[in-house]
Amino acid sequence: MREISTRAPLGSAPQTMDTAVIKARHVEDVVVGEEIIRHRLLSRVIHWTVAVSMLLSLITGLPIWTPIFGWMAFLVGGLAVCRWLHPWLGIVFFASSVWMFAHWAKGMGMSKDDWAWIGPRLFLYMKAETDDSQVGKYNGGQKIFFFTSALAALALVASGVVLWFPLSFGQEPRGVSLILHDVTFILFTASVIGHIYLGTASEPGTFTAMTRGVVSKKWARFHHPRWYREVTGEKAQRF
Amino acid sequence: MPSQHLEIRRSSASLRGGETGIRQLPTVSKYIDTSTCIGCKACEVACQEWNDLKTQHTQQTGTYQTMPALAADYWNLIRFDEREYDGGVTWLMRKDQCMHCADPGCLAACPAPGAIVQYSNGIVDVNPDQCIGCGLCATGCPFDVPKFHENTGKMAKCTLCVDRVEVSLEPACIKACPTGCLQFGTKQDMVALGEHRVAQLKANGFAHATLYDPPGVKGTGVVTVLAHGDHPEWYGLPRDPQVPWSVSFSKRFLRPLGLIAIFGTIAGVFGHFLRHGPKKPPDSDTDTQPSTRA
Repeated sequence: MREISTRAPLGSAPQTMDTAVIKARHVEDVVVGEEIIRHRLLSRVIHWTVAVSMLLSLITGLPIWTPIFGWMAFLVGGLAVCRWLHPWLGIVFFASSVWMFAHWAKGMGMSKDDWAWIGPRLFLYMKAETDDSQVGKYNGGQKIFFFTSALAALALVASGVVLWFPLSFGQEPRGVSLILHDVTFILFTASVIGHIYLGTASEPGTFTAMTRGVVSKKWARFHHPRWYREVTGEKAQRF
Repeated sequence: MPSQHLEIRRSSASLRGGETGIRQLPTVSKYIDTSTCIGCKACEVACQEWNDLKTQHTQQTGTYQTMPALAADYWNLIRFDEREYDGGVTWLMRKDQCMHCADPGCLAACPAPGAIVQYSNGIVDVNPDQCIGCGLCATGCPFDVPKFHENTGKMAKCTLCVDRVEVSLEPACIKACPTGCLQFGTKQDMVALGEHRVAQLKANGFAHATLYDPPGVKGTGVVTVLAHGDHPEWYGLPRDPQVPWSVSFSKRFLRPLGLIAIFGTIAGVFGHFLRHGPKKPPDSDTDTQPSTRA
């Protein structure tokens, strides 16, 4: 077996290592061989901080919401632990969501075409009946999910603080928070289920964008043609 | 402390409820006559002693009230207020405590299974073993009764001396009352007593006297005679107490709807996967369009 020098100069990786991943530590939107770096390390760390804190919040929140999910409480040591842990996980979720918003907001400008995703465009996309040739790094659905999750984080933290310290607030804000926390988490959880599905089973090749940080050229040309053209400098393809 | 002898009629965060036994226990109730209360606070002392609650320094707030409000270790408080009435001033004293509602908002709001129970005799009790101290019961309570105890991290309130009642003793506060303005018995008897007293008060010139047994919470396990029944707020009582709409809406509507939405989405994505399968780039290098259009 070839020995890997531990004294290799910074930035130069031994050949046995994944060069795309090493490059993806610092840069994105660049081609490495047959792959394109979609999310650099920082983007992925932020995403997974949001995702893990959201899922843990869900696991500790659902048993408080309904006894049907009471079994989830035992994963963390009981309902009393959920009551203690859930707000802190919520704080991590909110803080990382703010970070995520600041990190990605620049690329999330909504075009007229993107707004059309609120409506039949979404359903046509799910049936693969849309013309996606002008889709950049993010399509309208992804942008809307981005803003949805930011709004959800805001609504969840605002109502969550009231539910955390109910006795410091009046009856009215407590009642409103109860409803707002419920409605927001239900809609957000449903959206996240869709998000996970689209990122895994529904569109193969997507999940690596959030693990190794890279996607194949073929994937990029298919799902995000305008981004592909911008990154590779290739001319628009014949349709 | 949960009763070892009483059957549970209803329990918080449980999917099923209802009595199962053959024993029919009458619903019990306290009777409070505010018009004959002299404000001696014997009931407050008796409550602290029987329930082994820490003695407190009373607070002088310029009234004949010992404490500003009910607290996690002060479950029985004679509220005092004075109002102008009939060209003079009238003193109003009411024993404040858990009302033991027939339809308890605290129990409806509580997310911890078995943390709040209603026994078959109508007593509503907090079970500290199951309580997680979230405070949602306080949101559900239209009388602002359950309080968070900083030392235990649990909610606490009047138990209606369930430990005494289950062995056929009257609650400590009733036992201590020197004027007879506090009575204890079946709900039926206490309502009859209250109606009798209201008729007396009406005959004595208190035309608006009523027995406070609010229907919004399907009646309470504490019925209160009010000489000025047209002004329950003078006694610190809500005019028409209800389980807050937010609690009922959340539990009865949003919860089933949310379950349908969440499981529906999971079923939806499975269905989509079976119907449409994964969306893969076409094999041809030049074709960038999804070519599934029929």
